[in-house]
Amino acid sequence: MKLAFPSPEFDDAVASVCHGEADEALCRALNELLRNDASALDEYILRTELHSRLGSDEDLFVPANQLASEETESEELRFRERGDLDSDASPKRQLWWAWGVVAALLALAALGVWQSGIREQAPVSQVGSQAVAMLDRTVRARWADAEKHPVAGDPLEPGWLTLESGLAQIVFYKGARLIVEGPAEINLLAPNHVSVRKGKITADIPSQSSGFRIDGPHASVDAAVANVGFEAEGSGTAVHVFSGQAAVRPGNASAEESVESGIGILVTETGDVQRIQPDGSAFASLYDFHAESSAALALRRDNWEVMGERLNQEESLLVRLDFEQASPSRWELPNLSQSSSVAEKASVIGCQWGRGRWPGKQAIEFQNVNDRVRLDVPGEYDSLTLSAWVRVQGLDRELNSLFMSDGFVEESIHWLLRDDGVLGMTVVGDQPGDYQIVASPPVVELNDIGRWIHLAVVIDGRSRRVSHFVNGQEVDREALMIEPPYRVGPSELGNWSARGFPEDDPFMIRNFSGSMDEFCLFSRALAPEEIEKLYQEGRPDLDLLAFRR
Amino acid sequence: MVESGKQGDDALERQRFLSLFLRSEREIFRYVAALVPNASDAEDIVQQTAIALWEKFDSYDSTRPFTPWACRFALNKARQWTERRKRWQALLENGLAEEIVARREELKPQLERRLSRLEGCLEKLPEDKRSLVEGYYYKRQTIEALAEASGRTVEATYKALQRVRQSLQMCIEGANRTEGAT
Repeated sequence: MKLAFPSPEFDDAVASVCHGEADEALCRALNELLRNDASALDEYILRTELHSRLGSDEDLFVPANQLASEETESEELRFRERGDLDSDASPKRQLWWAWGVVAALLALAALGVWQSGIREQAPVSQVGSQAVAMLDRTVRARWADAEKHPVAGDPLEPGWLTLESGLAQIVFYKGARLIVEGPAEINLLAPNHVSVRKGKITADIPSQSSGFRIDGPHASVDAAVANVGFEAEGSGTAVHVFSGQAAVRPGNASAEESVESGIGILVTETGDVQRIQPDGSAFASLYDFHAESSAALALRRDNWEVMGERLNQEESLLVRLDFEQASPSRWELPNLSQSSSVAEKASVIGCQWGRGRWPGKQAIEFQNVNDRVRLDVPGEYDSLTLSAWVRVQGLDRELNSLFMSDGFVEESIHWLLRDDGVLGMTVVGDQPGDYQIVASPPVVELNDIGRWIHLAVVIDGRSRRVSHFVNGQEVDREALMIEPPYRVGPSELGNWSARGFPEDDPFMIRNFSGSMDEFCLFSRALAPEEIEKLYQEGRPDLDLLAFRR
Repeated sequence: MVESGKQGDDALERQRFLSLFLRSEREIFRYVAALVPNASDAEDIVQQTAIALWEKFDSYDSTRPFTPWACRFALNKARQWTERRKRWQALLENGLAEEIVARREELKPQLERRLSRLEGCLEKLPEDKRSLVEGYYYKRQTIEALAEASGRTVEATYKALQRVRQSLQMCIEGANRTEGAT
């Protein structure tokens, strides 16, 4: 076989290579041609580049409106609910596979971020990897930008933060901890460097950090291991060294002054340097931070408990588990729903107990391949809503179960997370082989690993649609082809019993890796506002203001 | 709440690696796809590259750009991968792989110039062609699903994709019209 250039045969050959359809003889002929014809090679490179660009640049495509009731192709979704493992038949992954794989590989530590809302266009690969610090907690924080301000747990990228009032604790990735009291304007420059236009800050710089630097309007301070107070205002900049030592450099001076524990330095706007007594009381509010934030937390939790009691009375609530075990040795969880007669309790198999959203709040941890919580919810339902607070530790499996009915029973459901951060709801029809998978865009992202997030899905049999929610926001809505009724039946949180499907097939292993500290199942379709409310009432972040909103 | 105590050096190192890798990911993918254009195969190779990069990350000199360093690994991984796959080996043997990589580097400015017009050209496509391209490249639908959706045969769907790429190519090579392309 011989190829000429230019020729229709050449065109076809390049196309079939791009599609992965070329056979060996064709590849050989193409190789022969490309090695001997420079212009054919250039043309080939252009064409393959065009092809790979289309496949790797999501920005080229404005995402289609999810609300369009496109026909859902299980093929398209590549969920492989019953896929065999033959690689040729295996589904293609989207290009944002990478983080799932890498995250699983590296079992990422928590350096979390929540980018709320939908990010269809931005691939995961562009998410918050520039962050230098994390907003750890806030108390009564009012930010200048009321719309787009960070909340506790958010990663912070380099740039200005303006805190009008209240307190914020920032943990830098190089180990230093800053508590900032508003009004303050600070510019995060690096994982160990911040500049302050105004404001009051205490910096705790531990030995395992690699030092920290604060630049102020009239002076800068460098410290390796220390606890310092830093106050910048129009008339001058004060540095109080409460422990350790720090090097203070006034304004533009090149000489720095070493300041020992128990000493303070004031650099005035005219550049005068004065020694002062370090004044702990000036920073008292910052030391009250912990007390304040504990109180705020306790309040948050109380609030959640009150809401929980109310929720337990809700008529459509089939199951509510809050994983608040009296003793870890009891492996049964009571169903807290007051109105439901199904699923009196759930059984814990394996699992560990860990920390939930708030100090003292328990969570169940799924770590091992056999960890699961089993329950049985008999009955047929026209609509269902599932809601869970989870902390993902890693997306180790291709499919990671959130809540799945056993096997592939007619009319049952599978709620899961794919390894690329896509939420999936599979609804099985009443005919063999009939099922629909509703897959969101990739919404659980690299930076969500290790954070508490609220996930919910609504299966609305009346208006025949499925909606996925993350942190109270609807991120996907699609038409549902499978008619009601829907069943739950014997099912599992955090795992799946394949029931009759080959157990040794790695694809059948779907255990979740992470924690869950609340789960609700309703027998109706909750409205988006109700889901938003569930999220707002259970938000783990501390800020009292956020909680009053 | 995130427990900040977990943020040891190791976690930072991983974070650093991930941010570098994820920033270079598309570049690496395109580099690999120049050798093995079929997307799902190229992705497999990029995955294996990612693993190798992480294993060797301590030998990465952070004063130098990450992508070229990563692409060297990618070339090795592509070689290893094609060794076990006859047709791809036939495509790249006798030094063609190296030639493609080198020539692509030389052509880069030219390729970039042309491809910068791609978005504008995509917008000009008729709706059915655009949704075919979007389905195949962006939504990653299988050719079978696309065929079914359009009522074409699989063969005809491949052909249709080929023709859309051709018209896109003609468009990006088009006369230097100033289209106010961003």
